[in-house]
Amino acid sequence: MNDKNAVAARAPLLIRWAFPLEGLSQPFNWFVIGLIGVLGFLALYPSAFLFYGSLVDAPLGVPGHYTLKNYADAFLDLEAYQLMFTSFVFGIGASGFSVVLALILSWITIRTNAPCRKLFELTAIIPNIFPPLLIAISWVLLLNPSNGLINVVLTQVFGLEAAPFNVYSVPGLIFVEGLILTPLAFLIIAAALKSMDPALEESAKTLGSSEIGVATRITFPLMRPAILAAFTLNFVRAIESFDTPAIVALPARIDVFTTKIFREAVGSFPANHNLAAAYGVGLLGIALIFVYLYRRFTSQIENFSTVTGKGFRPHQIDLGKWRYAASSAALLLLVVMVVFPFVMLTLTSIMPYYQVPTTETWQTLTTKHYEYILQNERVYRAFGNSLFLATVGASICMLLASLTAYVTVKTKIKARGVLEGLVFIPWAFPGTAMAIGLLWAYVNFPLPIYATIWILLIAYVTRFIPYGLRAVTSTIVQIHKELEEASVSCGAGFYSTFRRIVFPLMRPGLFAGWIILATIYMREFSASIFLYSPASEPLGPLLYYLYIDAMHGPMAALGIVISIVCIGLIAVAQHFSRWDAK
Amino acid sequence: MSKRTMFLLGLIAALTLISVAAQSQDAKLLSAAKKEGGKAVAYGSLETETLEPVQKAFEKKTGIKVEYWRASGTKVMDRALSEFRAGRPLYDVVITNRNPMVLMKEAGLFTRYESASWKGFTPDVMDDFFGPAYRYNVFGILYNSKLIKPADVPKSLEDILKPQYKGKVVISDPTQHTTIIEWFANLHKIMGKERAEKFVRDLAAAKPLMVESFLPAARRAVTGETPIATGFLKWVYTFSKREGAPLDYLREPSYLGEGHFVALGSKAPHPNAGKAFLDFFLSREGVQMIAEEGEFVPLKGLGPKVPGSENWKVVEMDLLSGAEIKKKRNEYKKLFFGS
Repeated sequence: MNDKNAVAARAPLLIRWAFPLEGLSQPFNWFVIGLIGVLGFLALYPSAFLFYGSLVDAPLGVPGHYTLKNYADAFLDLEAYQLMFTSFVFGIGASGFSVVLALILSWITIRTNAPCRKLFELTAIIPNIFPPLLIAISWVLLLNPSNGLINVVLTQVFGLEAAPFNVYSVPGLIFVEGLILTPLAFLIIAAALKSMDPALEESAKTLGSSEIGVATRITFPLMRPAILAAFTLNFVRAIESFDTPAIVALPARIDVFTTKIFREAVGSFPANHNLAAAYGVGLLGIALIFVYLYRRFTSQIENFSTVTGKGFRPHQIDLGKWRYAASSAALLLLVVMVVFPFVMLTLTSIMPYYQVPTTETWQTLTTKHYEYILQNERVYRAFGNSLFLATVGASICMLLASLTAYVTVKTKIKARGVLEGLVFIPWAFPGTAMAIGLLWAYVNFPLPIYATIWILLIAYVTRFIPYGLRAVTSTIVQIHKELEEASVSCGAGFYSTFRRIVFPLMRPGLFAGWIILATIYMREFSASIFLYSPASEPLGPLLYYLYIDAMHGPMAALGIVISIVCIGLIAVAQHFSRWDAK
Repeated sequence: MSKRTMFLLGLIAALTLISVAAQSQDAKLLSAAKKEGGKAVAYGSLETETLEPVQKAFEKKTGIKVEYWRASGTKVMDRALSEFRAGRPLYDVVITNRNPMVLMKEAGLFTRYESASWKGFTPDVMDDFFGPAYRYNVFGILYNSKLIKPADVPKSLEDILKPQYKGKVVISDPTQHTTIIEWFANLHKIMGKERAEKFVRDLAAAKPLMVESFLPAARRAVTGETPIATGFLKWVYTFSKREGAPLDYLREPSYLGEGHFVALGSKAPHPNAGKAFLDFFLSREGVQMIAEEGEFVPLKGLGPKVPGSENWKVVEMDLLSGAEIKKKRNEYKKLFFGS
């Protein structure tokens, strides 16, 4: 590496306070400054509005006074702490459940020779294409104590007096949210399993350890950071989720912290955005602790990925006759996570109105809900908007995520922590609170982006960079420095090395992240609901309004069509990435 | 020429002049609307399905596009207020129920626009500022007529609290749905104070299933999960028309109702397009299309299509101030959630 590039790669140039001018003479510095500038603007501009809003007593645009009353109203209320405890139990339960499912699935699909394991790998990805709102509704139709389909079948088959399951309960809430969170846990755990150095396991086997011994003494201890990372990330997601508690918890009068925010601030009459901002800032404090833990765990995963750039394949366990048992377990998960919700959505979309199916039902099946959505101009417009947001948004997000990952993993500059912090701040706010911050920030922005599709694009990119960052970091950590050094010694500069060496090697992680983001963007709801206009309406709010207008047939039909389009997007992305071949 | 002939000729001439003036007024308005960009933006809680025929007919007739943002009355008010206070109102017209309309009017969001279409309505449905209530939402109890047999149909509001209906009733959550707060708070107008208060207390004690608003409640009645729901009586017609769903309603001596209004934004970005849309929306042609969707509109000959509606006695709910709604909400929160 020549002198200049050595400086570029290692020196904390932004922070090289002693030699500022020398630092700024390097193109790499400008790149880092630019990146911090973009991420800083995206993260801090709306966050600053949210902080400001939480400290004043009047809505945006109305002269007010500085006050701590919003914080007092939010946090001097004992009920808030009871609900935080419920949220805590819910968060631990749902994230724990999702991690267990993800661990079972990733172990079976990556580390064993169970038959059909490639199919089961899809089990963990496909639920991500179902909008969470529809998954929650499906489970209400399956497990409600009055006429939930599973309850009806079990009651009739076993002659039970009462329904065995009640989705309207804390365990029901944990179960449904856990299923929704599993794909992200799988993404983290599967990536760590794939990138694990097989040498340690092989050494253990050479020393006479059994397969189970290797799994319990080597594999799972090495996996601990990935498990904890998936757990903390999903914990934060669970305590900030609103859709599932609104549908599953409300009927049973179970309140969690996010439903309280909605009830007291966002959905109250009239809405109190200042109070919502105070709740959001309070929850940010808690979420950031877990984000810190998450970062610690993920950096440990990276330390354990002792890969040198040489090709390897993860050690595969021969389960013998137990491989069919492993496939059966994965099949059961496939049925619960994919088949049940899909069947309920399909039934709702082809019945004139959903009721518990009987033999007569088959005579009344209809395609009218599909005809409705296929003839509806609003649906086409929403598809156009969401496809634009999914493809362009995911691409921009992955570009920013890959640049950030490069700086945080491949360099030792001090600004790494700043970059990571910036990325996680908007994500650590609850979705509705962040949407209020974005609304305040951009309603009077000098560029006319409020109520256009561009504000949605900014919101999506701002909020979801951490997902892209996780996917791409797990790949970038495997790219050994010698490849870049070879490029540099052949005379390539930073941009050429990044474009011709680093970027192609990052491709698998890049596309894996792109897929996750594009499928999330195809049905994003909590930020969109505050920011869209009729012309820029995406699919998430459209699905929600079909739900509140009680048009469940068209809603389910639209959900199925969205899922099919997402599968198409995944297929195209996989074609370009060959990511499953890694 | 007899006096009578002269009078008739004079009348015809006057009517022709008025009609020509009205047409030239319309043409002027439309031409101004097209110069503004040829579109009007409406925010409202009127169901999209109900507005759509009016929207399409207006667009076909005038060439002016209507963009409609639909949300609950509370959210419509929230968004319109946020934009207005920030100095960036994007709406030309707002359509929702009276309570949020009055609060938005008090905050200065609207300007009084006396549309020529106001003339078609009778004085009893007129508001000095907003003009006519173009529809009334009539509240009551809905039930799944396939699951509740005729002999078991509740005969009064109190009947839904009988042990046989335990676990079969769904209501919207009174801590987040303003309309049910208004309904509970106004029940005394049709039941008397004591009976109304006891009914609300007993309903809370019966622990009904709770959902976010009326339509998800009606949907649960249709699926049979909880066959009895609070809601708008018009859904007996709309659910039957759209899906063939078996909904019927509890016959009561009188029902509570609330008017819906439409108003022009005081800082509308497309005021002429907004006025043109408002004129059409409140015209007999527009209101008739809304009636066709099963709405209860106050124009002669356009009665609701729900069976038995010709005998309805509808009592208008009293307006609640923001403070009263907050007080009632806290009261119901204690009753229904115990805190």
